[in-house]
Amino acid sequence: MNPQNLLIPILLPLLLALFSFLLPRGVKRLREVVSVLGAALFVYVAVAFFGQKETFFTLPWLGHGINFELRLYGFSQFILIALSGFTFLITLYSTVRMAGDPRIREYYGYLFLTSAMAAGAVLANNLVPLVFFWEGLLITLYALITIGGKASHRTAVKAFLIGGFCDFCMILGIAILWSQTGTLRMSDISVVPQGLTAVSFYLMMIGAIGKAGSMPFHTWIPDAAVDAPVAVMAFIPAALEKLLGIYMLARICLDLFQLEVNSAPSLVLMTVGALTIVLAVFMALIQKDLKKLLSYHAVSQVGYMMLGIGTAVPIGIAGGIFHMINHAMYKSGLFLAAGSVEQQAGTTELKKLGGLAKAMPLTALGFIVCAAAISGIWPLNGFVSKEMVFHGSYETGYTIFTIAAWLGAILTFASFLKAGHSVFFGPRGLETAAVKESKSPITIPILVLAGLCVLFGVYNSLPLKLFIQPILAGHAAPGEHIDFTAHALAVFNPIALISMGCLLLAFGLHLFGFKRGGNKAYLASEPIHRLPVLHTLYDWAEARVFDLYEQGIKFIQSLSKFLFRFVDRPIDAFYEKVVVGAGRACTGALKAAHNGLYANYLAWTVGGLVIIVWAIGALLR
Amino acid sequence: MLFLFIIVPLLLAGLLPLLGKLSKRFLPDLLASAAMLFLLVLSVVSAKPLIAGGGIIQQAFWFGAPLNIRLLLDGFSLFMLFTISLVSFAVTLYSINYMDHYGAKANYYALLLVMIAGMNGLVLSSDLFNIYIFLEMAAIASYALVAFGRGHEELEASFKYLMLSAVASAFILLSIAVIFGMTGGVSFGTVAQGLKTLNVKYVVGVCSGLFLAGFGLKAALVPFHSWLPDAHPSAPAPISAMLSAVLIKVSGVYAMTRIFLNVFGLTPALTTVLTVMGVVSIFVGALAALGQNDIKRMLAYSSISQIGYVVLGLGIGTPLGIIGGLFHLFNHALFKSLLFLNAGAVEQSTGTRALDKMGGLAKVMPLTATTSAVASLSIAGVPPLNGFWSKLLIIIALVQAKMHVLAVLAVLGSVITLWYYLVLQRYAFFGKLNEAWQGVREAPFWMSASMVLLALLCVVTGLVFPFAIHSWLQPAADVLGQGIGVALNFIGF
Repeated sequence: MNPQNLLIPILLPLLLALFSFLLPRGVKRLREVVSVLGAALFVYVAVAFFGQKETFFTLPWLGHGINFELRLYGFSQFILIALSGFTFLITLYSTVRMAGDPRIREYYGYLFLTSAMAAGAVLANNLVPLVFFWEGLLITLYALITIGGKASHRTAVKAFLIGGFCDFCMILGIAILWSQTGTLRMSDISVVPQGLTAVSFYLMMIGAIGKAGSMPFHTWIPDAAVDAPVAVMAFIPAALEKLLGIYMLARICLDLFQLEVNSAPSLVLMTVGALTIVLAVFMALIQKDLKKLLSYHAVSQVGYMMLGIGTAVPIGIAGGIFHMINHAMYKSGLFLAAGSVEQQAGTTELKKLGGLAKAMPLTALGFIVCAAAISGIWPLNGFVSKEMVFHGSYETGYTIFTIAAWLGAILTFASFLKAGHSVFFGPRGLETAAVKESKSPITIPILVLAGLCVLFGVYNSLPLKLFIQPILAGHAAPGEHIDFTAHALAVFNPIALISMGCLLLAFGLHLFGFKRGGNKAYLASEPIHRLPVLHTLYDWAEARVFDLYEQGIKFIQSLSKFLFRFVDRPIDAFYEKVVVGAGRACTGALKAAHNGLYANYLAWTVGGLVIIVWAIGALLR
Repeated sequence: MLFLFIIVPLLLAGLLPLLGKLSKRFLPDLLASAAMLFLLVLSVVSAKPLIAGGGIIQQAFWFGAPLNIRLLLDGFSLFMLFTISLVSFAVTLYSINYMDHYGAKANYYALLLVMIAGMNGLVLSSDLFNIYIFLEMAAIASYALVAFGRGHEELEASFKYLMLSAVASAFILLSIAVIFGMTGGVSFGTVAQGLKTLNVKYVVGVCSGLFLAGFGLKAALVPFHSWLPDAHPSAPAPISAMLSAVLIKVSGVYAMTRIFLNVFGLTPALTTVLTVMGVVSIFVGALAALGQNDIKRMLAYSSISQIGYVVLGLGIGTPLGIIGGLFHLFNHALFKSLLFLNAGAVEQSTGTRALDKMGGLAKVMPLTATTSAVASLSIAGVPPLNGFWSKLLIIIALVQAKMHVLAVLAVLGSVITLWYYLVLQRYAFFGKLNEAWQGVREAPFWMSASMVLLALLCVVTGLVFPFAIHSWLQPAADVLGQGIGVALNFIGF
């Protein structure tokens, strides 16, 4: 393949973005038609790239080893397909959902700009262009969140600052790595994380998992779920950032650094992953708003991916990466379904919804399939990838991580039982009496994603063999078993049986809560919510006590208040009173002395002469 | 050829009052501007190559017989000639519009030309007595120019200026007489040679004191500055610009520096006295400027303060200090003349010089406001403008010479400078437009052109300061760095 073709996945969305920016707002249809067709072309390009030989493209850029280098190979081909596919589905969905938005020009513009930047980040083979595209994503994310309206600006700033912190860590890590290895070419770097390179590993890890939305860098996601347009949520935090963050994490763990099984970095990564799973899912369980509930799951699921990759065991890594693509599909589908409900019913509050399955059968079908997938129900894709992560973490010997993952699975299923039950079953809410099914551009993406969930589950050998195995091929020890398709859907092994047991337990929990809550599904999580210690913790979490960003902002605000009152004001008073006062006094004295009397001036002159002559005489001696 | 610098302005000065009868405005404007341009070109194009191999002396002849008038041109004098010509050219352009309402333009130009001839003669002098002659020539023209408005205030200021200058002349003449009595000559070479052989350091000390008081009065160093805050504001704006930007430097700083460095030789005692006087001037001038409400009076006090920097730099006597002092002299000539021209433009448009009655003039006089901002930032020493570099050089030279206290004081003085120039800008140009000045218009063409020219020069000099130092300042500083060797070289003449 011609190396210059590698620019197409970056330039094509860039052109679409420019087109949307330049097209006046009044023009209808044309923007949507061009965007959908362009996105379809993007998908075609990505598919055409798939299976091509490894290709490099290099342009001299800033010198000192900083070149504009792109590389197409198995992993990036796979991410490109996913990226283009999501771009297409979201564009299609937006044609209806975003129609009539006052900032429609910017919306499509930034959407495609995001795609272009993401494509660049995936293709980059030099750490500096990578950072360039990575930072570009931060800006487009900020812009896209603000499209949600006035209230979203605060959230946009929050997302920007958290993202900026993570990116700063990554840049710092890259700088250390550069100084240690002497090269910025990603395909040339492969070091064991020790000493300074370990610091670099952790810093770059923060950059990657921060992008993916892991704890404790997740706090903007639930806020954005409320403020930002739902299509943006389905595209960026649910799909794109997982793709990029986990892609980067996999690159860090597989290529840039050699992660050993049960080494310190591996254990750190697994711990963060396990904590993310459990803590986020506890938060998800008690949410009373569908979009917020989904957003906490978007955080929780990242934990599985990190846990899988952190095991450094082939089946775990494969599971983590597979979980990434699976999650992108079902979480995107879930968000789109939530958007569909929101558009028709006017709300996503669980309390006000109910019994929509009859009125919105297609949305309900899509939601249920995706929810089943995320809960890990046989034989959907979520089951396959979660099992792989369970197996991987079990193989490391630290069973505690497997147990944490199981706990996450219980609560995930419980919370989706609650959500699905509240929205689609039970009695119809009074306010939602006249609800109808959404238009086809909205239901098609949901159903496509649901279909893919089934496809990747039942025919799991298709993605595993096509996408995942080539990524691992270069890294697994020779002769190591990397074909996981054989027992992917196997149920008669201890781990799978325990997983099934977990699901049953979750069902029991839901039923218990449902009965205790007076047959109201949205109250099904209350028994857990009201547990003695948990209740207090939940209250604190609701008050954002655990939100590092909010606490940091509070600390900085009080610090700046303190500095203002006790440092700045006294200094200011010093200037105002002492300095200005002294200046005034001197000026006043001088003004009084210059009284315009000739005799006075003459006296100064003669006196000055005497003093000078005396001084010269004294100095000569 | 050197005589052209004196004869051309003098001849024209004689002719102008007669030509003024023929044409009240056009001819005087044209001829005066042409003469200034001629002098500027002469100093840049003809004179510079002349001294490529060192200083030269030219003697006057009268029908073949040599006269006892010799002119000396070296790097230092050329640098001063260039500064004088540049500022006079800008000021003459400005006068085309500004002096219209004063009337008697031909007489005005004639006086200005006499003053310029005097200054040119002074910087070209090769002996003490010629310095005195040309000093008086420039001074007498300037008395008349200060009183040119013929109001009560102007006449009083002019009279005060005249009376204190007479004291200065007496000091200078007395000192020259003592030196003549001891060495039997007044030319630089003879005096330097004579003082070298005689052992009379206390007499030289007293003569230095007399010169310091005399020339210090001309340069308006504290405590000899008292005439300046009255005289400079009273003159018409272009004359204020000439006086503050050039005259005090030529008749004060130049004469003093030439005699102390090239004839007497700089002693540690003189260095101490000069640097201390410099710093005192900086502070007295700056603090007094802070309290002024009359814009031109504020600028006049500012001149005292800035002359302090020049004397401080030159007084250190190290090569870097001399370069810094000379560079600041040149820069101050640019921005102080510009500031006085700005003040003149404002006064002509609004009829007042009181800062508290102005306000928001930037909206109606954008060019004046912009150029004034450039000059203010320059004089306050804000990078990358020219004033920053010259002050920086002086401060570095002070640190190198281990005068750390003076260095800190020089920085502090600069802060006060910024303070009162911000006050000036805020009162005059920023803020809401005072309703009385709704109908005010921007200055006429030639005034604006002259201000823009000077502002551009400030910026350009700041940006290419290494070039300015290399081509103009280094030769001048080299001459001063040689000490009395310069005078001894010309002893044969």
